[in-house]
Amino acid sequence: MSKIWHVALHEYRRHVLNRRFVFGLLSVPLVVILLVGLVFLMFAMENNTTPIGYVDHSGLLADPLPAPKPTAPDRPVPMVAFATEAEARTALVAGRIQAYYVLPADYRTSGELRVVHINEIKSPARQQFYDFLGANLLKGTDPAIAARLVKGADVTVQSADGSRSLSSNNWFSFVLPIIAGIGFIIAMFISGGYLMQAVVEEKENRTMEVIITSVSPNQFMAGKIIGDTCVGLTQILVWLLFIVIPIMVERNSIKFLQGIQLSPQTLAVLVFTMLPSFVLVAALMATIGATVTEAREGQQMTGLISLPVWIPYMLTSLLMGNPNSPLSVALSMIPLTAPVTMLIRDGLTILPAWQIVLSSAIQVLCALGAIWLAGRAFRLGMLRYGKRLSWRELFAPQGAKS
Amino acid sequence: MPSVELSHIAKSFGPVKAVDDVSFSLEKGELFGLLGPNGAGKTTSLRIMLDIFKPDSGAVAVLGGPMTESKKDRIGYMPEERGLYQDIPLERCLAYLGALKGMSPADVKRRADVYLERFDLAASRNKKVKELSKGMQQKAQVIATLLHQPELLIVDEPFSGLDPVNTQMVMDVLREQHAQGVTIILCSHQMHQVEELCDRIVLIDHGRVMLYGGLAEIRRQFSGNAVLVRTPAELPGLAGVERVEQVNGTVKLHLAKGTDPQNILQALVARKVPVEQFEIAMPTLDEIFIRVVQGQERDA
Repeated sequence: MSKIWHVALHEYRRHVLNRRFVFGLLSVPLVVILLVGLVFLMFAMENNTTPIGYVDHSGLLADPLPAPKPTAPDRPVPMVAFATEAEARTALVAGRIQAYYVLPADYRTSGELRVVHINEIKSPARQQFYDFLGANLLKGTDPAIAARLVKGADVTVQSADGSRSLSSNNWFSFVLPIIAGIGFIIAMFISGGYLMQAVVEEKENRTMEVIITSVSPNQFMAGKIIGDTCVGLTQILVWLLFIVIPIMVERNSIKFLQGIQLSPQTLAVLVFTMLPSFVLVAALMATIGATVTEAREGQQMTGLISLPVWIPYMLTSLLMGNPNSPLSVALSMIPLTAPVTMLIRDGLTILPAWQIVLSSAIQVLCALGAIWLAGRAFRLGMLRYGKRLSWRELFAPQGAKS
Repeated sequence: MPSVELSHIAKSFGPVKAVDDVSFSLEKGELFGLLGPNGAGKTTSLRIMLDIFKPDSGAVAVLGGPMTESKKDRIGYMPEERGLYQDIPLERCLAYLGALKGMSPADVKRRADVYLERFDLAASRNKKVKELSKGMQQKAQVIATLLHQPELLIVDEPFSGLDPVNTQMVMDVLREQHAQGVTIILCSHQMHQVEELCDRIVLIDHGRVMLYGGLAEIRRQFSGNAVLVRTPAELPGLAGVERVEQVNGTVKLHLAKGTDPQNILQALVARKVPVEQFEIAMPTLDEIFIRVVQGQERDA
């Protein structure tokens, strides 16, 4: 096995077999699960299943069809008929019903009705009553036509080349790349942080001098960057499992999960723009690690890298307003701002192939340049105990001699 | 062909000249001492030798030519600043360092077992390195240096932090490696150990070579006109003796210029003085070191 792979494997095992890593790995999905749980709790609190009453003077609900089954996570609300409004009011005051509707005699022609409640009736219960009314208004109609009428219009917006479409069924597919981008960035900076810390520690505990008499600085840095990129990808993989497994399990019961699909364009952006950016950030973090004397100093400097990465999120409204503007295209090409810009634009427009290719090429070249720079910084800074390597020294032509 | 040859190397860091026209060479299988006070340029010379630093001028040949990546697997280097991964178990640390020297996992395991047993670290193999005492870490570093059976061994202050028992153990290991034909460069401040182990030395001070050659020859160069005599009797006054000094149970007789030590021995025998020991007084390496370094400071 090449020494690069030994270094990569060592780097990978050193972080992945560490309790701190496992804690960090599980904490993100656990926080997400907690948030999702809170959302479901809020839904559950919204979903009051106390019956809804009605007083029908129009005769529409004399022999009613049952209310259609609500979609998850809503639970069915029983509909209870009252002969008079006085009876309904007594039941409301007693808390046996949450509200009651009064359908006047001309309801079929006027469409007007009245609701009486003590506390405001929440949207899921209200919708169930309207669906109940809708089903009975269409009583006697062909069930298929009735179902279509109840469902309403489903407009699909399609791109001119036919490669992409957006409808109410797959809107989540367009949010997914942005969420994936955030996950990528978090993983990128966590693993880059590990790399920087590892380099600083190797300087601090003097391991460096032993290592470089066994491998070349370039082999060493390449191995570390590969190892730490794999650490980041492991994080993403585990997080993806936390997302994919619930989606597979709940796909049939949660409507917005049903239309999820990743377009070839999104996949191309994720693979060809995000991956080189991952390596670029890792190499820049390693460069910082090789130039500073202690981890704290390095952490302060990571802002120089993280700020450009987040800039596109700060400019989201501009990018969404005009995803093909010169600013959007420029940010898609600039290293560090490119991955997030491309992902935001990916959800809103058809990215020309040349832009994906050019952006990827720039990211790959910059990543290779950053690996070279990391190797050089490592060579120059590895034995600087207690003294920082200046950027001038890093780029000075004679610097390579020491 | 020398195992290591440094020819007129020089290296500056900014205005500081760390190494100035240093030359020395070692033959294969030699146990060679690299001496000098703190900041003399020893470690810089070693780093140049190992291609960690490039010299400003001069040439270096290691194992028959310039340093290459493949030659790194044939060299064992123990730097003065010890460096082992602190957060991983000792055995895994040794496995990684061995793998970087091109060893197979089975070879690393086999050789590590032997050394861990020998250095009394077998019970600590699964402990994290940071949980080991300083002396234990020092021994672990020695193991990491020897694990891949290097042809050239460069050890910088290998005895620092070791108790007398472990110091003796490391000395025995160095002797053993020497007997097996390994070329060794021993960089140390502990002169009596260098004196015990090395045949030839180079002494560097202020980046320059002050002494270079066989130890016996250097000691002869620095020996004054004096003899050591051990006798249970009272020494009589002897012609040609300028001064008498007690040294560790012996008497050191400082002779006048032109006095032959053989004449002193004959005089003692003639006067029937019972002589238990009679030898030409040679300076210790410590004394030579101090004289050279202090002389250099005076000149500076």
